[in-house]
Amino acid sequence: MKKLITGNEAIAYGALRAGVKAVTGYPGTPSTGCLSSLLAMDLADTHVEWSVNEKVALEVATGVAWSGQRALCTMKMSGLNVAYDTLISVAYSGCDGGLVIYVADDPGANAGMCEQDSRYFALMADMPMLEPATVAETYELTKLAFDLSEKIKGPVFLRLVTAIADSYAIVEIEEPGPVIQKAPLLIKDIQRFTKAGSVIATNQHRDLINRLEQAGQITTAAKINKTNLSNKVGGLGILASGITAAYLQEGFEAAALFGFIKEDVSTLEIKVTNPFPAVEARKMLEHCQKILILEELEPLIERGIYIEAQRMGYRGRITGKLDGLFSRIGEYGVPQVVQGIEAVLHLGIPEDLFSSNTQALQLAAARPITVCAGCPHRGTYIAIEKAIKKQGLKKNEVMVTGDIGCTILGMNPPFDLIWTEISMGASVGLAQGYVHAGVKTPVIATIGDSTFFHSGIAGLVNAIQHQIDLTLVIMDNLWTAMTGMQVNPGTPCDNGAKTYQEIDIARIISALGIEHFWIVDPFKLKESTDVIRQALALPGVKVVLARQECAIQAQRHGKQAGKIRVIEENCNLCKLCLIVTGCSAFNIGMNSIEIDPELCYGCGICIETCNRNALVEEVL
Amino acid sequence: MKYDIFFAGVGGQGILTIGEVLADLAYYKDFPANFYPSKGMAQRGGFVKAQLRLGRENIGPNIPPHGADMVIAMEQSESLKAIPFIKPGGDFVLYGDIWSPTAVSLGKVPYPTLEQIAEQVKLAEARLVYVDPQRLPNYDGELVHPNLFLLGVIMGQTTLGSLISSVDVEHIIRSRFKRNTEANIFAYRAGLGMQQVVS
Repeated sequence: MKKLITGNEAIAYGALRAGVKAVTGYPGTPSTGCLSSLLAMDLADTHVEWSVNEKVALEVATGVAWSGQRALCTMKMSGLNVAYDTLISVAYSGCDGGLVIYVADDPGANAGMCEQDSRYFALMADMPMLEPATVAETYELTKLAFDLSEKIKGPVFLRLVTAIADSYAIVEIEEPGPVIQKAPLLIKDIQRFTKAGSVIATNQHRDLINRLEQAGQITTAAKINKTNLSNKVGGLGILASGITAAYLQEGFEAAALFGFIKEDVSTLEIKVTNPFPAVEARKMLEHCQKILILEELEPLIERGIYIEAQRMGYRGRITGKLDGLFSRIGEYGVPQVVQGIEAVLHLGIPEDLFSSNTQALQLAAARPITVCAGCPHRGTYIAIEKAIKKQGLKKNEVMVTGDIGCTILGMNPPFDLIWTEISMGASVGLAQGYVHAGVKTPVIATIGDSTFFHSGIAGLVNAIQHQIDLTLVIMDNLWTAMTGMQVNPGTPCDNGAKTYQEIDIARIISALGIEHFWIVDPFKLKESTDVIRQALALPGVKVVLARQECAIQAQRHGKQAGKIRVIEENCNLCKLCLIVTGCSAFNIGMNSIEIDPELCYGCGICIETCNRNALVEEVL
Repeated sequence: MKYDIFFAGVGGQGILTIGEVLADLAYYKDFPANFYPSKGMAQRGGFVKAQLRLGRENIGPNIPPHGADMVIAMEQSESLKAIPFIKPGGDFVLYGDIWSPTAVSLGKVPYPTLEQIAEQVKLAEARLVYVDPQRLPNYDGELVHPNLFLLGVIMGQTTLGSLISSVDVEHIIRSRFKRNTEANIFAYRAGLGMQQVVS
C-alpha cells in the first residue's frame, strides 16, 4: 500500500519488511525519526530501544546479528564516531544475521555539528555503503541492505542525508515480513569473534577485504547503480552520488533553455558508495570524453574516478571539486547541476542564474537560538552568572564548558555564559584540561542528563580519580529534549512508554563518593545561586544537580509550574526582567511589561529579577 | 502540474501544519509530492522552514533559488529568508505576525518594516499577498489558529486555489483534526471568504 512517510520511516518500514528482530540507536538529528517511529508502533516480535549511547547500541545490535537474527542500529554521523571503535572490530568479525547500520549525515549542518562525510568510515572499515537518492529508494535499499549483509556475512552501512531523512514522500510499502522465529545461534568460534593474536586479526582482515569485493560483485550484477549511456560517444558523462541524482532531471530542464540536450549526456547514478563502482565507472570513462562528478561534501567518488582514469590511460577531462569548481561545503541541488554543465560545455548559461538578492537576508532580524519560555536551564544559567558575580568575578574570567543538546543554548544572549561545545560528554574532560593548564579562577562544566549518561559519566570518574578542582553542573530536565523528547535512563518511567528500570543520577553521584553534592531546583534562583557559589569556593570535585522537568514536555502532560501576574502600577518598564531572562513570554506593553499567558509556564524565575515587585506569583 | 512552495516562519506558529495538510492532500489524490520540513534546533520561537514540491516523481527536496511558485510566510522578519526562492510572478503570501527576538524588544537592533519587505518582494518581481493578523476571526469566543485561516486565504487568492479543490482541502482538515474539527473548518472558510488583500 502507498503511504506518506519520511526517509527515516522508510528505513523503519524497510527493516520491518526484512523481518528485523531488534532495532537500537541513540537520538541524533536527523536520524532520530527512524527509531522513534518504530517505538510508536508497539511491535510484538521486534525489540526497539533507545540505548545509552551509540557504542552500546551497536554492541546490542551486534549480539543479535551474531546470534543469526536481523538487527538495525541507527545514529547521526557524530554518533558513528562514538560507535566506531566497536564497528571496526565487528566488520572484521562479520556477522551471521543481517546487520545494518543507518547513519545520517548533515551537509549544510542544518542541525549544527560537523559536516562529516561518513562515507569515509565505510572506506576505512571496508564495509559496503548504500546511499539512496530519494525516500522511495530508501525503502528498497533498506531491504537490500539486510540481504546483502547476509550474503557477504558482514555489516552494511545505509547512509542518508538530512534532506532525505526528514522528507516526506509517497512510498509503496509492503506488510512487515515475519520475524524469524528460529532459535538463536550460539556460535563458539574464537577465530571469528575475538581479536587476540596476529594470526586471528590478519585472517579476519583478509576475510573482510574479500567480503567487500563480493559486495561489489553482487551490487554490480544487480545493477544497483544506474548507468545510462547516451548515443553520443565522447560527450559528457555525469556521475551523481546519492541525493545529487535526484536533481539531475530538473537541472537538465534548466540547462535546456540554453541549448543543453539531455539525450546527449550519459549518467551514472551511484547508490553503492563503497566499494567504489569501478566496473560502472570504467564504462563511463570509455564512453565519455568529459566527466562531471556531483557529490556532496568530500571528493570520494571523484578520487576513485581519477584512479580508474589513470589505470585506463584516460585522456578526457574530469570536473568536480579537485579542479576547484565545486565546494566541499553545504548541500547540492539544481544550481550545481547547471553550474557543472556550464563549466564543461560552455553553453553561455549566466553565472548569476541562481544568485540572489542578499539585501533581503541582511534586513532580517537575527534570531539566535535560545531556550523556550519556562525552560529550567534558564534558571541554571542565571544562577551560575549570579554565583560568578557574587564571587567577585566577571563572566569572561570564568571558564564554563558546555555540552551537546539544549544545555548549549546558554552560549547565546542574554546569558553568554557557555564557552565551548565539542562532543557528547566532552565538557567534563575539557574542563579538567583547563585546570591542569593552570587556570586560577574556578572552572565549571555543564552537561545535560542524557549527555551525562551517554559519556559524561566517564569524564566525571576521571575528575574524581585525579582530584580536580572542578564544579560540574548537571542540568537534568529528565528528557533527551533537543532531539524531540526521547527517554533516557533518568526519564521517569510513568511516561506511557514501555516499562524500564529508571536510574536516578543522584544515586550515581552519591555512589561515586563525591563529598560536595547538592540537588537544586533551577526555578528557585536564590537557593541555586547560593549552592553554586558555595561549590565554586570549595576545593575538589563538586556536583550540582539542577533538576526540573523540561517545560515543553511538562506542559504536554498537563503540568503548569504557576501563574505569574504583572502589577502594572509597580512596573516602570525598565525591562530588567527581559534583559536578564530573555524569556519569550514577555511583551512590551504601553504602560508595563506584559506576559503572554499562552507561553508562560509560570516558572517564576522573572520574579526574582524584578526590583520593584512588579511580578508576582498568583496563588492557584 | 508542477508547483513548488517554500514556507518560512518560527516554531510554535503551526506553519508546518499547512504543508502537512497539502502533503496529505497530494497523498489522498495520489499525486507525486515531496515535503521537507526543517526545524533547525530550537523547540519554540526558532526559524522554521519547509519545502513542498508537487507534481514530479523522484524530485530533490530543495527548491532552487527563484524556483518557488509560492512563498508562505508567517513571521514578518523571517519572510525575508524566503525572498531568494520566490519565482518572478509568484505569490508571496505573508501573514504579518511579529515574533520579536529579545534584542529587538530591547531596542538594540531594528526589525524590518512591512514597507521594506514589500520592496524586497517587488524587487523579486513577485506578488505580495499580505494578511493582517488583526483580521483573524473568533470562533466560540476565541481567536482561531492562524495557519488554517491562512490556508483559506491562499486557496481563495492565489493560483494554488485553481490547481487543487477546496472540497479536498476540507476533507483533509476533517480527517486530520478529529478534535476541534468545526473550529478548524470555520477558520479555513473564514480565510477562503476573506476580501481581496493584495497590496
